[in-house]
Amino acid sequence: MRTYLRHPFWQAAGLLVLAYLVIAFVIPLLPGSAMVPSSVVLQYMATVLVGILIWVSDEEARWTQFKEPLHEVLVQPRLKMVRNGLLAAVTLVVGCLTYSQVRASVAAPPNLRSIHPAPPPQITFRGKTITLVGLDNPLRRSGDMAAHLAVGRRVYYQNCVPCHGDHLDGQGHFAAGLNPLPANFQDNGTIAQLTESFVFWRVAKGGPGLPREGTPWNSAMPAWEDFLTEDEIWSVVLFLYDQTGWKPRTWEVSAEAAK
Amino acid sequence: MADGMLLLQAAADTANAYRDFPWIGSRAAVWIAAEVHLMFAAFVLGVPIFAVVAEAIGIFGKDQRYDRLSKEFTRLLLIAYSATAIWGAVFVFLLSTLYSGLWAYLTRIFGPSMWVYVSIFFLESFTLYLYYYGWDRWKYGRAKIVHWCLGILLNIWGTIVMFIADSWLTYMMTPPRDITPQTSPASIKIWHAILNHTWMPINIHRLIGNVVFGGAIVGAYASYRFLASRSDEERAHYDWMGYVGNFIAMSALIVLPFAGYWLGREIYQYDQSLGITMMGGFMSWLWVIQAFLIAVLFLAGNYYLWVGMGRIPGAERYQPYTKWLLVVLVLGALVWGTPHTMIADSRELAAMGGSHHPLLGALGVMSAKNTAVNLMILATFLSFLLYRRANIRPTVPWAKAGTRIQAAMFVIAAGVVLFFGIRGYFVEAIVRIGYSVYQVGAVLACIVFVTLIDVLMARGAQSLGAIQWGKMPPRSQYALFILAVTFTWLMGLMGFARSGIRQHWHVYGVIQDMTPYAATPALGYAAIMISTCVLIFLSLVGFIFWLGGLAEKSTFVPSTVEAPHVGH
Amino acid sequence: MWATNLRIIGVVLGTLALYTLIANKIPQVQSEVPRALSLGANVTPEQLVSAGDQLYHGAGGCTACHGLGTRAPNLLTDEKGQGPVGARCGKREAGKDCKAYLYESLTSPRAYVVAGYEPIMPEMGRILSPQQLWALVAFLESNGGTVDVSASDIPSSTTSTTSTSSTPSAGIAGGSTDPMTIIRGAGCTGCHKINGEGGAIGPDLTHVGSRLSANLIRESILTPDAKIAKGFEKFKGIMPKMFGNQLTAAQLEALVQFLASHK
Repeated sequence: MRTYLRHPFWQAAGLLVLAYLVIAFVIPLLPGSAMVPSSVVLQYMATVLVGILIWVSDEEARWTQFKEPLHEVLVQPRLKMVRNGLLAAVTLVVGCLTYSQVRASVAAPPNLRSIHPAPPPQITFRGKTITLVGLDNPLRRSGDMAAHLAVGRRVYYQNCVPCHGDHLDGQGHFAAGLNPLPANFQDNGTIAQLTESFVFWRVAKGGPGLPREGTPWNSAMPAWEDFLTEDEIWSVVLFLYDQTGWKPRTWEVSAEAAK
Repeated sequence: MADGMLLLQAAADTANAYRDFPWIGSRAAVWIAAEVHLMFAAFVLGVPIFAVVAEAIGIFGKDQRYDRLSKEFTRLLLIAYSATAIWGAVFVFLLSTLYSGLWAYLTRIFGPSMWVYVSIFFLESFTLYLYYYGWDRWKYGRAKIVHWCLGILLNIWGTIVMFIADSWLTYMMTPPRDITPQTSPASIKIWHAILNHTWMPINIHRLIGNVVFGGAIVGAYASYRFLASRSDEERAHYDWMGYVGNFIAMSALIVLPFAGYWLGREIYQYDQSLGITMMGGFMSWLWVIQAFLIAVLFLAGNYYLWVGMGRIPGAERYQPYTKWLLVVLVLGALVWGTPHTMIADSRELAAMGGSHHPLLGALGVMSAKNTAVNLMILATFLSFLLYRRANIRPTVPWAKAGTRIQAAMFVIAAGVVLFFGIRGYFVEAIVRIGYSVYQVGAVLACIVFVTLIDVLMARGAQSLGAIQWGKMPPRSQYALFILAVTFTWLMGLMGFARSGIRQHWHVYGVIQDMTPYAATPALGYAAIMISTCVLIFLSLVGFIFWLGGLAEKSTFVPSTVEAPHVGH
Repeated sequence: MWATNLRIIGVVLGTLALYTLIANKIPQVQSEVPRALSLGANVTPEQLVSAGDQLYHGAGGCTACHGLGTRAPNLLTDEKGQGPVGARCGKREAGKDCKAYLYESLTSPRAYVVAGYEPIMPEMGRILSPQQLWALVAFLESNGGTVDVSASDIPSSTTSTTSTSSTPSAGIAGGSTDPMTIIRGAGCTGCHKINGEGGAIGPDLTHVGSRLSANLIRESILTPDAKIAKGFEKFKGIMPKMFGNQLTAAQLEALVQFLASHK
């Protein structure tokens, strides 16, 4: 047992198994975590494998020692059974992998949907052209903030809450039925990363206004420009940031603008 | 009004001014021609930079080996130079015949700069011929200095040529804001068009990138000759040359991300939707592939160093530590490669509550990635340091304190990187962007000061034996090949990113692409194109290498002087 | 040496193959040229015709009836010896030239039902923007006639986008919730038979309630191609997918309940 533990080949094999266990079973157990998608497991395992191969081969002595068991299995007459078993196992594994690749399944294939596609430089809002580049929330500069927030709160609870939820976490009553799921505003990957003009664009144009990268399954978000006024949308944007505590991404002050 | 009619007419003419290329289509034809030309150009622009540096080390350090090395670089240059010109001609002819409308538009604006380009190209060729063929004639004394100045001149011409060509392509990407589809090309001032948003960032990015690329290709050349050599002397020489190439490539690579960062910033500032298309839009997965390639570069580069420690007496003192560096690098690669938006099927999506993983998703944002890559740079630098130190024992009285200070610097730099990385999660985006500057600053400062201390400490150090050049296992040489292929591929990929963010525009926002190829292809198609370009380039380069071996005997001279380290 | 060369080639090709494979393994997204019809002031007839061609065979759903069976006149090919639509459109109504006739046939199809056909065509103005309508007109004219649609016919883009989005969606048949009115107004009977009325392209709906649950009926109306009734596989893709946009929620529910009760 101890000789196995000291041997680079078995150490490498052990590390690989350990890494798999950690990635596939320990990470999902951590608080607030969830299962790791198989594409990511594959990616992590490939990285770990490369790292292990580097470790076993970066020193001549270790490399020679590492190759020993492999070499022996391939040539030693006494290991004929192991050799045959290994060849059979490799064939079987390749066969199974091929089968699982080509097998028709009922699940929809994994899709790549760009959550934050590039916004257009300008949009048409009820016939009025709004330039999104460099645009800040106009309500931040005018009027009473508390009043704006009150309007935003009303708009949110009248329109958004069924999907985006009471906690603004995308866990509304209807959320389970939607694909893609409603955005979770509490997450640091959504509105926290975006400018207010981007959020305005998404609210105003909704799922139908998503560019092609937003496909294959377009979001069910309605295009609110048909139902809300410009100021109502800006107030609800204000409300989202105020309620979650995130700060919107701000525009970089360009040299020309400063002049 | 009449002007407007003319423009409409011109637009209608442009729309029909396309021709198709048989079999592969005009986009693929121009793509291949431009990319292969660019790869050769990067090689012939990058190599002279360190050929001149090597020659200077040879002159001022009185080390003949560097002079020979420099000459060998230049010999590779000579053939590569004509390949660059040939592919440049292919590219120009394809562009002017297949996209004649666009070509007419560009020549209308940039005509004079094209004439300057050609004449400087002419000067550059003759300087190169003088530089190479005059090598043995102007070998001693003042003549040698004049010869070295010729090398500097060669670099100046090359840089000007590149700057001019960059202005054309950056104009296509970020034409000045006041130019609209209605602007008559004749009325655009040439300097106004040249000084567009991304011109300088691209210039700098390419200048550094060329050095990286040249170093990688030279490394591949050396490893090819190493594997082919029959004598120990030859093997020792090419082992050393491969090390130099790898050293140049890796050290220039460390600064490349900063130039890239500046470029990205300018693109965002020019047009937010260009920026988001590049980073978050349909190209976002390109960056995961890029992350993968960069992880390969880091791992292969370090691997080469670690294997190389086997030929240095005294290196066994440091070898036990390499595995911890490896752990840092692998963890860094894991974080660096974690996608923010994960590929997942519906079951996994439901479990994660969206395509962001609740826990690992935190590793997919910029804060985590900047932290990971900065730590990876630090680890790579530490590898270099251990390698440098492997066969010496410092004798200066403050050696122990010096090493402690160095260690403290590493700890502080890593601490700063981690601190701002974690803090980045709790501040707003505009502040977070600023944090990456602190992280980079800490890493760069650490590199500069630690190197400084190390150079001082190495003075009069006791040697534990010369590096046994040539005693390298062949697998390390394959690592150099992987590095060269990866660098080349990465260049093709980044070229696709730069050119592809224009999407269906020839000149962004000014001239629309009306061909059937206007759609920007998906990554899979682009990868096939990139691989094709890399294959064409490497086959030609392989041929050039073979010619280099055919034409002349190796320039190797047995040296009795102990090999000093590069990078002093 | 040959072994070494081969190994080098192997390493290079292997690395390239790996990168290419990874890039092809991830889901592929191509950035398409925006298809939004920005038929501006300098649009050419050719552009209009090609846009119309795509609409005719795609989003417009025209081929569901025209050119297939006997529910609607052939447009692109000969119809009763009068040639394709571009050749005959000018002669259909006195005082209306080809352009005006085609446009009105699209926006209010029931005004000009060709003799021998049922009034089953939906009002295309509800589905397509004015720009798209004019592109269709240009395409139809190009089939056997001369295209005389020009940029001046097309309202400017800002007004058109608002008019399509802010049109109150009253639903089919004026928002009526009477199931039979909806069925006739939506043109269901063009393909489906119900209580002995209608065509035979689609499944007979008379006893649909005994075959399908209310949920399945709803699904079949909203996404017709999701499940194809047995024996009708060949007609997959013919039923238009726009009813979800055209019916109001109340109408959809009324229709579903009505059909589900038809046992």
